[in-house]
Amino acid sequence: MNRGRIFWASRFPVYCALICATLLLGLPFFWMVLTSLKSAQEVAVYPPRWWPQTLLWANYAEAWSSAPFARFYWNSIVVACAGAALQINGALLMAYAFAIIRFPGKTLLLVAVISTMIVPEEMKLVPNFLLLNKLGWIDTYAGLIVPGIAQAFPVFVLHQQFRQLPGSLIEAAKADGAGHGRILWQIAIPMSKPVLTATALVALLGQWNAYLWPLVITNSSIMRTLPLGLAYLRKQAEEGSAPWNLLMAAAVFSIVPVVILYVFAQKQFVEGIMRGALKG
Amino acid sequence: MTTHAGGQFTRRWRKERREWMTFLLFILPNAILFLVFTYWPICYSFWLSMTDWDLLRPAHAYVGFANYRELVSDPSFWRVLRNTLVYAGTVVVLAQVCAFLLAHLLNAPVYGQGIFRTVAFLPHVTMTAAAALVWVLLLHPQYGPLSSVYSMLALQGPNWLESSGLALAALIVVGVWKETAFASLFFLAGLQGMPRESFEAAALDGAGLLARLRHLTLPLMGPTIFFLAITGVIAATKTFDTVAIMTEGGPVYPASSMYVYHLYVLAFREYRAGYASAFALVFFAITIGVVLAQFRFALRRVHYGE
Repeated sequence: MNRGRIFWASRFPVYCALICATLLLGLPFFWMVLTSLKSAQEVAVYPPRWWPQTLLWANYAEAWSSAPFARFYWNSIVVACAGAALQINGALLMAYAFAIIRFPGKTLLLVAVISTMIVPEEMKLVPNFLLLNKLGWIDTYAGLIVPGIAQAFPVFVLHQQFRQLPGSLIEAAKADGAGHGRILWQIAIPMSKPVLTATALVALLGQWNAYLWPLVITNSSIMRTLPLGLAYLRKQAEEGSAPWNLLMAAAVFSIVPVVILYVFAQKQFVEGIMRGALKG
Repeated sequence: MTTHAGGQFTRRWRKERREWMTFLLFILPNAILFLVFTYWPICYSFWLSMTDWDLLRPAHAYVGFANYRELVSDPSFWRVLRNTLVYAGTVVVLAQVCAFLLAHLLNAPVYGQGIFRTVAFLPHVTMTAAAALVWVLLLHPQYGPLSSVYSMLALQGPNWLESSGLALAALIVVGVWKETAFASLFFLAGLQGMPRESFEAAALDGAGLLARLRHLTLPLMGPTIFFLAITGVIAATKTFDTVAIMTEGGPVYPASSMYVYHLYVLAFREYRAGYASAFALVFFAITIGVVLAQFRFALRRVHYGE
């Protein structure tokens, strides 16, 4: 009893500081949700009212139909899923080849791949736009997805992972007559599931949140992804035709899939974010 | 005997060749994409940066180094470069301090630790476009929550985004918010990997909080701090989303513009492909320069291992 009280007393400042820090970091999310449930008049009340008088859930339906958000959502899902899947697929094959298969001078090739990590995406903006323009890929899913497939980061992470696979196991599989395709599929992938999940999540996150490349490569509204849809609604808000409560509702439903995914797969997310970093 | 050895040799050679073919087959998809969408653009950038081209005319006019000469005397270039460096430096330093403190809190054994950690890392996974929107509202002099504080004090709240002096500061606030979440992840991992015994021994020897911080925590965190400084500066120099959504470089253009946003404006608003490419290549050079400079600094200062 007494010990418990001392414990609480010593922990009290920690709790206070933690709660303050969390409120500060969480304030944007809090304000986003609260604003999304207010009426347009209530948003403009000064001084602002924190808690909405009535929770207007209908704002979400209204925001959803204030721009072709169903289409934006679909575009985001296609780009994020296909982009992440192709990125991981290419990285798997390449990382496996670099880690397991014999080839003269492969270290040099690996260096050529890994060193592209230092090349900023922004540098490729103009030439890739010109190339895709020539190919007629502007305003297409291919244009949104294909230039981002080959990334050095997942190759690097998966290469680190595959190098640590027990060599004896792979030799045994080879002795049994298994080809590299089967070893990859039946040994390397099952033994690397946590890393693979983590890398895939990071790829998915990057695609879902991407803004600059979709902005450059799309120009019709039906090919917009969610971040662009939000920016478009913001322009309307400036002109006064789309009020802030709807804008916040749109922001909420744009981040919800990733937030849910993150809350449920937090361990894998953290692992994915940290992995490429600390082992480098 | 010899024929047998010869047969074995051919068989091994054939097997080896099949191995090589498999290797090439495996790396082929990604290798092609790397060549087309990474290596080719770099080379093409060099050529483009020597031309004057508006993206419309069929022919590129070769102009030599004229774009680079123009760049050096372009006040916008220096302005966005300065903005970017101010932004990067401030965000990285402030975020590291905040994250360092936050990580200590998140490492404390408390109830609801998981919830606190989840919220703390959330800014990093949130779509920047959406976060930037809510920050516009948070910083709004009338609609934002801060204005209840202003009105209580009977003050006129600053209009962050409409003020030339504060627009960049507003972007810095958002940058710190996002980067703190990212950095605290790494500091927390660093704290969890610390040798408990050394700290207990130091505490027994009567080393105070500051002494422990200076002689134990900071040296042990050296590699983490160094890593976060590099990745933080690089990420900060690439800031685009918040500029595009919150200020568009305004209120009066380049007041709060940054390097990548200006690059976008040059290429896709003013259609100056050649000049934009020179701009991009200088960015590349600066990135490499920053990384090398930080490495040199770290070699002298960071205590690896021990």
